[in-house]
Amino acid sequence: MSLPAKSSKQWQDVVTGKKAYELKFLAAKILLGRLTRSLSENPSPDNVKAGIDQLYDVYAKNSHIPSVQDDLKTIFG
Amino acid sequence: MSQQLMSLETASTAIASGRKLILAGDEQALNRLPKGSWIAGTIPYFITNEQGGLSTREQVFATDITDIATSLEIKAYDQNSLSHVYSDGPDNGFSFILIPAMSKAHLSFALNAPNYKDFGTVPLIGWIAGVHLDDLGKRTPKVYNGQTGEFLEEGALVLSATLPPGKAAEIGIVNLFEQGEGDTLTFPETGFATKDVLVNGERRNFAAYLVKNRLDTKLPLVADYYGALVNISFQGIDEADGEVKFYAPVFTGIRYKHARPVPDYAAQFTGKLCSACNIQPANLVFSCNCILNYLYSELEGKKTEPFSGPATFGEIAYQLLNQTLVYLEVHEI
Repeated sequence: MSLPAKSSKQWQDVVTGKKAYELKFLAAKILLGRLTRSLSENPSPDNVKAGIDQLYDVYAKNSHIPSVQDDLKTIFG
Repeated sequence: MSQQLMSLETASTAIASGRKLILAGDEQALNRLPKGSWIAGTIPYFITNEQGGLSTREQVFATDITDIATSLEIKAYDQNSLSHVYSDGPDNGFSFILIPAMSKAHLSFALNAPNYKDFGTVPLIGWIAGVHLDDLGKRTPKVYNGQTGEFLEEGALVLSATLPPGKAAEIGIVNLFEQGEGDTLTFPETGFATKDVLVNGERRNFAAYLVKNRLDTKLPLVADYYGALVNISFQGIDEADGEVKFYAPVFTGIRYKHARPVPDYAAQFTGKLCSACNIQPANLVFSCNCILNYLYSELEGKKTEPFSGPATFGEIAYQLLNQTLVYLEVHEI
């Protein structure tokens, strides 16, 4: 599936930890391990936006990888 | 695609015929190889599919990527320019990194990689070069650029491999350890050593805490990164100074737990290899394991199929890891 826009609410839910998913893509998991903790301490709009940008880039630049496709289905259905 | 231990003569022939190789071996062996399309790091410990774990200074372990890489570029970095390692990666492929243990680049990468620009946008895998344990303090770990014939004791070498259309690279890890049920440990500062720890939020001396609780330092600290378990291995405890040293840095803001005890390290490790990953051996390009797993699991003479490769002073799967097996797959897409 193609990458949903950054404005999709699911991106924000993931990076802030509001919703937790069982993901497969290792780079995203390592990144989210930091982002969710960092944003729980300082969930300012700018920080959330920067977090979404980072996660979006990781998925966008690896969108051809099977585990990324699986994660996108898990997060966005 | 293949990973195998080979004689210097065989390796030299492969290099001369234009094979693209990632090599591991003792420095005296690597010094005797001709120039060509290869990079290498020093280490004399390996796990092979044929003989299991072994140590040899006479042979080299080769990962042949000739048939999967349409092109490759080898570039040297220092501890500062290393921050571009993700941004410089290929559009479709992977970057393979080799760093000498205890170099400035090793320390810098360990501390800073998670904050590098474009972290995670390119598959980055590799390992930390080391030496035979008998040579600790006598020789220095080195990484070799086969294209130039030069080696580095400071800095890092990165091989950027481009894959053809229809192929995709993916990195995975196998970790024997899980978080135990004990205290939650956080650290006031990021670093390879600490005197202080916050035990469930209460500041304590970490060395005294480990000794008092008789915690086995063969078992690492384990952090949960959104389901990916990441270890920090203990290097040693200095009770007199009250300091604890690690083989990778602990980070502030990350919650660690001491690993759950492993009754039969070797058997459980082998079991984890079978159950933890659902990989197709034909897709497996590279793997390496930690020297601590090699030692503590007593892997000498034991196989870890389908995984083989060097037993290293640190593993890299996007960031520095400890006591973990890392692997690279290339899929058809």
